[in-house]
Amino acid sequence: MTISELSLAETLPIANKVSKWWVARSDACTHCTICVDVCPTGAHTAGEGFVRMPQPKSELCIGPNCRSDGRNCVTECPADALRVESNQSYEVLGDPRWPADLLNATWHEAEYGVAPRNGLEYRIGRSGGGFDRLRFKVEDNLAVIPEQGLAEAYQHALAEVDMHLPLNRRQDEAEAITIDTPWYGGGMSYGSISLSVMLARASAAQRLGYFTSTGEGGYPIELSRYKDNVITQVATGLFGVREETLQWARIIEIKYAQGAKPGLGGHLLADKVTRDVAEVREAVEHTNLFSPFPFHSVYSVEDHKKHVDWLKSINPRAVISVKVSTPDDVDMVAVGSYYAGAHIIHLDGGYGGTGAAPDIAKKNIAMPIEYAITKAHKFLEKEGIRDQVTLMASGGLRTPYDVAKAIALGADGAIIGTAELVAVECVRCSNCESGRGCPKGIATTDAGLTPIIGSHWGGQRIVNMYSAWLGELALLLRSMGLHSIGELRGRTDLLRYIKE
Amino acid sequence: MREQPETILNSRDELMSSFRDPQADFRSQEAEGGCGVIGLASSKPIKGKYLLTPCSQMCNRGNGKGGGVAVVGCFPKFPNHYAVQVGYLDLDARKEIEQKYIFPNFDVTGIEQQSYLEDYRDLPRLEIEPPRVVRYFSRVKESILSKFAEEHGFKDILAAEDEFVFQNSFRLNKEFYGNRDDKKSFVLSHGRNMMILKAVGYAEDIAQYYQLEDMEANVWIGHQRYPTRGRVWHPGGAHPFSGLDEALVHNGDFANYFGVVEYLRQRNYFPLFMTDTEVAVYLFDLYNRVYGYPLEYVIEALAPTTERDFTKLPIEKQSVYRAIQRSHLHASPDGPWFFIVARNDVKTQTMQLIGITDTSMLRPQVFALQEGERSIGVIASEKQAIDALLSDIAKDDPSVCPVADRYWNARGGSYNDGGAFVFSVKDSELTSTDKFGREVKIQVSRGKVQESELPHAIRSTQYDLTESPLTVFDRMTLGSGYPALSHWSMDEIDALVHDRVALAKTAASKRSTVIELLTVLHDRRYDPGAKKRSAIIARLNVALDEVFRSVTPIGLEDTSSGDRLIGWNDRTAINPPPSLPPFATDRTVGGITPPLSKTEAGKQGVLFIDCAGFEPQGEDSAGRLIVNAYQLGWRKFVVFACRGDRFIGCGLGAETDGIRIDVYGSSGDYLGSGLDGGEIHVHGDAQDQVGQILKRGKLIIHGMVGQTFLYGAKGGVAYVMGNAAGRPLINAVGSIRTIINGTALDYAAESFMAGATTGGGFLIINGISFNEEGSIVPLIDRYPGGNFFSLASGGAGYINDPDWTLGYDQLNGGEIVGFEEADWNVIEPYLKENEELFGIKVSDLLNGHVPNQAYRKVVPERSGEVKNLDAHT
Repeated sequence: MTISELSLAETLPIANKVSKWWVARSDACTHCTICVDVCPTGAHTAGEGFVRMPQPKSELCIGPNCRSDGRNCVTECPADALRVESNQSYEVLGDPRWPADLLNATWHEAEYGVAPRNGLEYRIGRSGGGFDRLRFKVEDNLAVIPEQGLAEAYQHALAEVDMHLPLNRRQDEAEAITIDTPWYGGGMSYGSISLSVMLARASAAQRLGYFTSTGEGGYPIELSRYKDNVITQVATGLFGVREETLQWARIIEIKYAQGAKPGLGGHLLADKVTRDVAEVREAVEHTNLFSPFPFHSVYSVEDHKKHVDWLKSINPRAVISVKVSTPDDVDMVAVGSYYAGAHIIHLDGGYGGTGAAPDIAKKNIAMPIEYAITKAHKFLEKEGIRDQVTLMASGGLRTPYDVAKAIALGADGAIIGTAELVAVECVRCSNCESGRGCPKGIATTDAGLTPIIGSHWGGQRIVNMYSAWLGELALLLRSMGLHSIGELRGRTDLLRYIKE
Repeated sequence: MREQPETILNSRDELMSSFRDPQADFRSQEAEGGCGVIGLASSKPIKGKYLLTPCSQMCNRGNGKGGGVAVVGCFPKFPNHYAVQVGYLDLDARKEIEQKYIFPNFDVTGIEQQSYLEDYRDLPRLEIEPPRVVRYFSRVKESILSKFAEEHGFKDILAAEDEFVFQNSFRLNKEFYGNRDDKKSFVLSHGRNMMILKAVGYAEDIAQYYQLEDMEANVWIGHQRYPTRGRVWHPGGAHPFSGLDEALVHNGDFANYFGVVEYLRQRNYFPLFMTDTEVAVYLFDLYNRVYGYPLEYVIEALAPTTERDFTKLPIEKQSVYRAIQRSHLHASPDGPWFFIVARNDVKTQTMQLIGITDTSMLRPQVFALQEGERSIGVIASEKQAIDALLSDIAKDDPSVCPVADRYWNARGGSYNDGGAFVFSVKDSELTSTDKFGREVKIQVSRGKVQESELPHAIRSTQYDLTESPLTVFDRMTLGSGYPALSHWSMDEIDALVHDRVALAKTAASKRSTVIELLTVLHDRRYDPGAKKRSAIIARLNVALDEVFRSVTPIGLEDTSSGDRLIGWNDRTAINPPPSLPPFATDRTVGGITPPLSKTEAGKQGVLFIDCAGFEPQGEDSAGRLIVNAYQLGWRKFVVFACRGDRFIGCGLGAETDGIRIDVYGSSGDYLGSGLDGGEIHVHGDAQDQVGQILKRGKLIIHGMVGQTFLYGAKGGVAYVMGNAAGRPLINAVGSIRTIINGTALDYAAESFMAGATTGGGFLIINGISFNEEGSIVPLIDRYPGGNFFSLASGGAGYINDPDWTLGYDQLNGGEIVGFEEADWNVIEPYLKENEELFGIKVSDLLNGHVPNQAYRKVVPERSGEVKNLDAHT
């Protein structure tokens, strides 16, 4: 990543934000403007030639502890006209994995291209486990950079830290692909998300130099515009998988299982199988579509090798990724996949996944990704093949800090899904599969809902978010004295576990 | 009297006490994957060298991290001695082992060192030196045995001796192999008149290293292992494993390994080698030797009969099986597995080869039988391995035909064959039976005529060459104008074939007609008379290869024909077809195929690809050569001498209309997967995963087809002359249309999503087979399995089933609805094409019924709305 590329970030502020704090002014206000002087974030403004103080901008407020001297607008107001309270609407937003702070922080990144410095927690969630219990030792002592100077600081850090990630580490017939970010986008099918969201994801991948994956719903022709940055997924339903789409792809991803629901297939309700969805899946409109578990042509590692050979017979240059969930013998799976000819082993842990996965499956079957990464990494090392294979982790990686933690635990890079949807304003309502689909126009194919998101707007928001991520990662790595993302791999010594 | 199981098992109490430690780690397991296996039983002893070719042709099913060979009937001089075979990884341990475990316990009649190659590095794939094997032909010393029997209360002294040998080896393994890092030595086998040899390497390397090529025995097994993990391997983990007088190899793995281990622990069996194969052979040993079950019950305990198949069993059998399942169901291996067992049944002096498949048939398996002067039964992962084996044997023994009389799959846990077959050799006779002991016999044509009674057929030169080959064929089989083929002698057939081959070799213009005639004789069913069909096929195979190999090699000038021959040696000389202007060679993968007009395509020659020498997959495969040739402009291919070549017809890209590939020999997996236009004709049986994601075009299989045929297919048309194994058309969408003239074993068209129930995609099962006279015989069960059309959401299943053999209990989410005229209008054209392709007459299929009596229709349950829609459109 060069400094000039980082300028891809473009501010896309929106008008009515959900604010964390609720600031109210009563009629008792005497318009004395003391609050304007006290407020460090500009929530209270008195414009040129004002007559009455306007209502405060709650979205700018960072709470009553905004100043180190203990003063704030409420304590200083001579008329006792101001109230600052936590916003009850904000309180109900999100969930422990994606609390309101993290959603807002991600939206902030998608809007401004920098991580927020207004007190929103943008690094972790509140799940009480997993990556939320891990910290980099250096985190407590990181230099505080004000938001205004952040974009520039990112650029300087990025000039010093190499973020490239080679995906093919075998010297073989396949293309030697290197991406510009230590992550790429996870599979989301056409049908589960709208075409414009797919295009948004793909355009961002093209602009920042990584990949996005078709998921298992086939390859819409519109996406082929970005084919150098699109992974064709081959999943158990084989929907829309044809030689053409396999030959377009520089990376082919075999999806054996999904961490959110290992051992379970999928079911796209007939209602969602619109004409367009059916066409792309080469199925028939308005029929229920099933993805089985497992691959019926693969019941053993020898079948798996044959399966990989098949894809290579169709596209010998393709880099082959094998996506598996995290069973307790994940180490064996990783090694077996390597010997079968895979270039990338993609471990999908149990934290991630769609809103459509059954609750009982989510987080209850697959091994937590942080254990799985370490287990597979160490085993591959012991086996002497660690540097011949790229180990990618996914499943609930939400922030640049999650990415860094995954790499420090032993992965080479991360695969991101939900965060990209949050960037285009997913609110985590978890109603992805129901009715006409997503009220935000993301996880839907409904003709009335999909226009909510434009692919250019969506793509820019994803670019913005990832620009912030790259910058944050570079700052973090530099603060630890590392010069490339590769140096971070397996450095568990840089982490500490928070007991709490 | 039979020894009490408790006596045998309790005699191990002390030996096993150390394993009783609840902290003991019995959970570490070596992960196992799939494997390549072949087993062979011959009525007359046969040399080990015949394992070499089939094993090497399946080496892509192993990874060289473990290979093994089992031999039964190899020590006829010592039929009653335990052949205790110790594999020394460290020769220094020999003295200690002999003084501790061999000489004090056994009267040793003979000691042999298994011969081996002086330098194992002569076999470059052997990474580490295989163990030195020393064999001690032993009987337990009387004093030792009587003490052992007395101490543990054995009444049957022979059972005591067996158990003593078992425990002695276990002790040895525990001390010198089991839980130690410097693995020094282990017992490979200790059964009578049998042995196991194994090492880190491929099976064929093991056979060569131990110089088994010229050793003779009746039963052989070769096994390629594919262990998933581990940089350091020990031969002890390789297959086969042994209980006492048997060797078991295994392809697959169990999901309930720990459960089975726990079950065995409760019965004083403790695995030392941590693989599920070891565990499987202990189960076999427990049921067979300790509980004394007959083989049928042993198989039932391993692969229980369930669901509908159970209800179809005779009542008496149900009650026995119910009792077996009650006791052993929780130890029945769960998951994909296929066992091959070679054993010496000492009590009956019978040598056996047994193949057992899991209830869901998740691993590939093919059985084959040839009867004759030397009868041979074969069990393998792939048919091509069987063909390689037979053709190697046939080269040395003219009484053996390179084509088996019969090939078939077992239907796991079924009431009709039990999912297992047994080849037994006794007194130089080979019999073959299913699980229930019913004999598999090769039937001979009713119209058997003595050769002396035959009228002389007209010399083949007298055929009217202006007639089309199909017409000639019809006349030959019907006997119209000529004596019928059934009345020809083999010599006359030879003369015809010879004559045709000579003609094709001299006149290139006649070549395609000759090929067509020989092919139709090869593919079609007809009455061979007193001759064996397999013998005719074998001759035609040779003749066809001869014609193919007579084509002008690639790169040579020949203005008389556009056909060219290419093989392994001149593969790099590939160039564009001569009769066409060369295409731009920049037709990159994913680019657009230059369209070929019909006349251009018609003029074009055929590229004959001799597959001998090619790798089954990868850069050096015939499949890749086809892609290259296609990109250079070739459109017609004859691919022959296949030996499991995979991915034929894969990688051609989009819109391949006009391509035609004819495949001869033993084609491999994934044939035609992803085809998008054009035709592939398989002249013989096809393998697994054929036509996966087929998009458009036509697949024609003149034989059986393997597992998961047309998985995820989107469209196109497919015709199969014989059976499909398990799970055909699973997850197919769109408009795929298929006729399977035989049947499918299980899970046919599961999750079928092929649109409208009339006029969308469909699967027709005709449920027929052929008798020896080549006539159609309806199968007793038109569809024997379960889960027909289960969880489907679209499309239709049509089954030729006038006697209503298909029951609702075979559906799972499907329903049987009325077959209407509209249905007949949809399927009749396909049945007609089926008739043209295979000679299976529509009138014979209807067999006097009107269509809606002959055919029944299955659609997804609750598809009423869709049906109404159909009615309106």
